[in-house]
Amino acid sequence: MRIGIAGAGLCGRLLAWQLARQGHSVTLFDRDSGAGEQSAGLIAAAMLAPYSESLRAGNKVFQLGCRALRQWQGLLSLLCHDSGVKVELRHSGSIAVAHRADALELDDMSRRLQALPAVDLQRPYWLSASELRAAEPELDNFERGLYLPGEGCLDNRALFAALGQAIDKAGGRWRRQQQVETVGAGFIRSGGASHRFDYVFDCRGFGAGTDLRELRGVRGELLWVRATEVKLSRPVRLMHPRYQIYIAPKPDHFYVVGATEIESESLAPITVRSALELQSALYTLHTGFAEAEIVQASSQCRPAFEDNLPRIYQAEGLMRVNGLYRHGYLLGPTLVARALALFENRAVDPGNGSLEEAIKVIPA
Amino acid sequence: MSENKNSRVRDSDANDTWTVYGQTLHSRLLLGTALYPSPAVMAAAIEASGAEVITVSLRRQAPASGGGNNLWDMIRQLGKQLLPNTAGCRNAREAIALAHMSRELFATDWIKLEVIGDDYNLQPDPFELLKAAEQLRRDGFAVFPYCTDDLVLCQRLVDVGCEVLMPWGAPIGTGLGLLNPYALATLQHRLPEVPKIIDAGLGRPSHACQAMEAGATAVLLNTAVAQAAQPVSMAEGFKLAVAAGRAGFCSGAISARPTANPSTPVTGTPFWHQQ
Repeated sequence: MRIGIAGAGLCGRLLAWQLARQGHSVTLFDRDSGAGEQSAGLIAAAMLAPYSESLRAGNKVFQLGCRALRQWQGLLSLLCHDSGVKVELRHSGSIAVAHRADALELDDMSRRLQALPAVDLQRPYWLSASELRAAEPELDNFERGLYLPGEGCLDNRALFAALGQAIDKAGGRWRRQQQVETVGAGFIRSGGASHRFDYVFDCRGFGAGTDLRELRGVRGELLWVRATEVKLSRPVRLMHPRYQIYIAPKPDHFYVVGATEIESESLAPITVRSALELQSALYTLHTGFAEAEIVQASSQCRPAFEDNLPRIYQAEGLMRVNGLYRHGYLLGPTLVARALALFENRAVDPGNGSLEEAIKVIPA
Repeated sequence: MSENKNSRVRDSDANDTWTVYGQTLHSRLLLGTALYPSPAVMAAAIEASGAEVITVSLRRQAPASGGGNNLWDMIRQLGKQLLPNTAGCRNAREAIALAHMSRELFATDWIKLEVIGDDYNLQPDPFELLKAAEQLRRDGFAVFPYCTDDLVLCQRLVDVGCEVLMPWGAPIGTGLGLLNPYALATLQHRLPEVPKIIDAGLGRPSHACQAMEAGATAVLLNTAVAQAAQPVSMAEGFKLAVAAGRAGFCSGAISARPTANPSTPVTGTPFWHQQ
């Protein structure tokens, strides 16, 4: 089948790769150069944090998120086979800490996590000062931490590159630097020209707003820094009454600190206030960040619907896959699997029927 | 429901209105729109609370560079009176500028004036607040000043034309409840004609009930509802608590007494049972 995919972010790439390796003729429209420079998924910290995210997102996202780690392990090993690129996936848990004045925030987090439904993952537990030091020797200005088993993050820069290569190898075609104007049943319009396909996927994220009026953008800002004096092996979340800032380690001494969350569709550069907040979080977590290089300061809009859950809009010859909000890596594999199953008229994972309903499928 | 015979209570509820800047309101619960798990939950919580006035914040939304999003449209569609705030402003100049921007954006001259003096506990700066309130009243705004419970500050705010006061119960987001009932009683005693909306620091429905029982005109909440594990039922809980407190205030509570005063005569009780 001739398939057009609009948007080469996380969703578009995963779909293009899967469909191309099934033998479909896939064309991927990318507004960037192929590296995903403007994708929310490339800029993001790529956290897999079902416990931490459950605090706001609730039980269903938590339960779906708990499967993400296993899903990514499967996807990454297949991707390594296809592309030859090994993408790093850290999954030795994450640690939440708080400064003494904000100790209550951590107690509150612990209390709320204990109320979650039982899952395969081990329950969160407290680390004493010495246990914290044993796990992360450089977190030495905190008296305790809350350990969140099974959480982690993946190297999304390597992932984007590997998916690009795997799509190439599977025979997928790219239309780079192609701003898509609109996507409809069986066509993608770009640069004033209409391109016809047997089937079209709209994976433009926030960029799909012109065709999906229910979609809103939620601005996020974050920093990529390189800190040679800092050695953290796990993502760390700093709890605070007003911010929840996480610091995710990446290969080669890179760290991502983020992210603000502002109900705004402004794509303007990061503000001084946000930069100060993120940098204060870094510095108070570990003074070694004082000499870190700020490699990149980014702002982007996460695509979200009113319930902050992803959705699929389906019509003859068209599927719009969107609304991953701040859960691209946590829910992306589930969303893509659901989209593929619908495309093939296959029932999904009957054992988890109720969970799958967290992703609404709406006739377009 | 209208054919319900037992409508005496509801009738008196319906007549129990209050007025601020010429607008008559029935609900005594005002709700904020920040920090909810999702816009859908926010809308449901506002509905459950019965609030007629909801606050909106735009300080960080970068309105000048095309900010805002369809969350604002959703908020507008709820059909409530909007009360934009100046959260995040640090001095009178910033607050005044943001108030003018809000008036254009939300087409209302209502403004909840917040000028923060301390970054950590978000305590209001009384000096800058008074300055901003005076200017904004001159500029034709209906100013709702978020203030501490200091009598002299509140008197000065009234002097510059504020027709309502929003003293805190406790610092924003702490959920500590009324930290200083004495100060609120003083405000009630000295400024009885001025509506007082207890703003900030309430964590539980019982806190709202206590504030209303002490004579507050209304309460304003955000964190206590938005960050509850179940925001929608918590909104309902606060609605009931506000109504309970209000009924308590209006109905002449009995005085507390140090000894029991049984309502059933004990004349027939054998004396050895009264030891």
